[in-house]
Formats: sequence, C-alpha cells, structure tokens
Amino acid sequence: MIQPQTYLNVADNSGARELMCIRIIGASNRRYAHIGDVIVVVIKEAIPNTPLERSEVIRAVIVRTCKELKRNNGTIIRYDDNAAVVIDQEGNPKGTRVFGAIPRELRQLNFTKIVSLAPEVL
Amino acid sequence: MQSIRGSTRLLQRHRFSISNTLRFTSSSTSCGSWSENESRRLGFDSFPCTRAATYLISSLKNVGFSSSAIPKQNFTYSSRCFSTTGDSVQGSPESDCVVPQRIKFKRLDKTAKHIMQIVDKEAVEEVRTLREIPEIKPGYIVQLKVEVPENKRRVSIVKGVVIARRNAGLNSTFRIRRLVAGVGVESMFPLYSPNLREIKVVDKKKVRRAKLYYLRDKVNALKKH
Repeated sequence: MIQPQTYLNVADNSGARELMCIRIIGASNRRYAHIGDVIVVVIKEAIPNTPLERSEVIRAVIVRTCKELKRNNGTIIRYDDNAAVVIDQEGNPKGTRVFGAIPRELRQLNFTKIVSLAPEVL
Repeated sequence: MQSIRGSTRLLQRHRFSISNTLRFTSSSTSCGSWSENESRRLGFDSFPCTRAATYLISSLKNVGFSSSAIPKQNFTYSSRCFSTTGDSVQGSPESDCVVPQRIKFKRLDKTAKHIMQIVDKEAVEEVRTLREIPEIKPGYIVQLKVEVPENKRRVSIVKGVVIARRNAGLNSTFRIRRLVAGVGVESMFPLYSPNLREIKVVDKKKVRRAKLYYLRDKVNALKKH
C-alpha cells in the first residue's frame, strides 16, 4: 500500500538509494499502489558518480511491500520493507542487477527482465 | 393436563422459531413420511450421507413431528406419552422407543453451526488420512516442500521459523518467517493445502508466546532466534 510521500528502498544498482513516491500511474485518484504497479518517484538519496541524481523525477515499479500480497492458492507473502526497481518509459530496468527477492507476479505483468535478473524469485 | 399445557407452549415456541423457514411442514404430510421425500424438498439430495445429514434430518423430524399436529386434537402430540384415539398420524418408529418429555430443539442457526462443525471435522480427517501432517507450533523450525503450479516443478524448499498458527478447522494456517536474499519474508500457508507436499520439523525452540511477531524487529539471525 504505497501512496504519495512513501519512502522506498531501491532494489537495483541504478544509482539511487532512496525514493519517494509522488504519484501512482493508472486510474486517476488511485489511492494505493501494490506490488507490480508503476509509480512516479523522486530520488531522495543517490549514490555519487552515477547517472541518476538527487531530486530527479523518474518511474519505478514496486517489487516488495510490507503489505501482504495474496495469491490465489491461499498463500500470503509479506516482505519486511518497501522496495522498487527504477525503470524507464517502456518498462525496462535502468540498472543491470537486482537485489533481494522478487515475487512471481511480476512475470505476468511483463517485467520479465527484472524477474530474470532476480537472485531469488518467490 | 400438564403435559398438554407444556405441549402447547412447546408448540407456540416452535411456531415462532420455524415459522419462516419451515412453512411447508405445516402441510398435510404425516410425520411418518419424513423420508427421502422431505429431504429432497429441503434440497438435501446432494448431501453426503454423513453424520451431519442424519443429524439435520433427525432434528427436523422432531420439529415436523410437533408442528404438523393440529392443536384441536389435544392428544395427538402428546401421543408419545398417551395412546391416541387410533389416529395413525405419528408412525415414526423412533417415537416409541426413546421418549424424552420435552422436545429439545435448538435454534436453526445453532443447528447449522453444529452441522458445519461436523462437516469441517470430517474434511480435516479426510485430508489427514491422505497426508501426514506433523504438529506445528510457534517456535518450531520447519522445512516445507511447496509445489508451485506455475512452474510445474517442485521448487521452493521453504525453511523458516513458525511464528504464528491460526486454528480454523480446514482453513488452519501458519506463518513462516525466513531470510531470503537479505530480505525478511513472511509467508502464510494453509495447513491442509494440497500444495504443501511435505512438512518436516527440523528444530524446536522454546518460546513463551503463541504469536512471535516481535521477531520482526529483531534482525539478528532470525533462524537462530
């Protein structure tokens, strides 16, 4: 349940370290974003000497939330932090590596490149 | 005399409780025919012939027995105690043997709840005879083999601490906490899910709680507790 003003960790090596959600892409006046949704973020903290800089507005896809993700077989997955992967306009990740566990639902949402880079697909 | 008074009171009480739902029982069916006809009218023909079904039918038999009696004939519903004037309205065999003085009849929702409990227990027993499910308590370290139907392979050996267990009959669930690639992940599984191929208890830790949610704040080596 990510909403504007939510801080998110970054799960790739694109150069940003912390992001803040500004807007949820999709329907207008959408309240919360979940895993697999694209959001507009601003970079609050960045690693120096990388293409991404602080206070840059970019897009990201949410890969981990503290709010549970329900599956059809009755199982529930809940992570310990909120994290996102920085993407470009088409949906390709900007970084080359992805850290942490990625849920399987991203594959159905056409983020196959992120899923293939993931060290562990939950 | 007293039995008639008691029976009228009983009849009124039954009328109040069942007037809406069992309106059709006040028809001219005799009590003896509470058989497959009635059960079909109640929509129970697809009911499995289990204890729950017999419980329901017998409890409804008791209801129909008392409510289909016409109040003008004073002795008909107390015919269990007395012999009637020859009316063969009550012909059900079980009225002759065990004759309680009052017909105890629970409210319909209580009866339904009881039946659901029986059905649930039967479903749980059925699953338990299929697979061996060990006892899982909070504090156990457990290794699961979870089948993922999307990959069509038996991926996912899930190993973690059980932090919670919720008992709800067939929907009993338990939560496992583990560290995956540096991120803490909690998963909740239904205990009787067919996707859980194997559950193995690896270790048992002593805990003094039923729900170990305090482990979310402790970050150091969760599996070592």
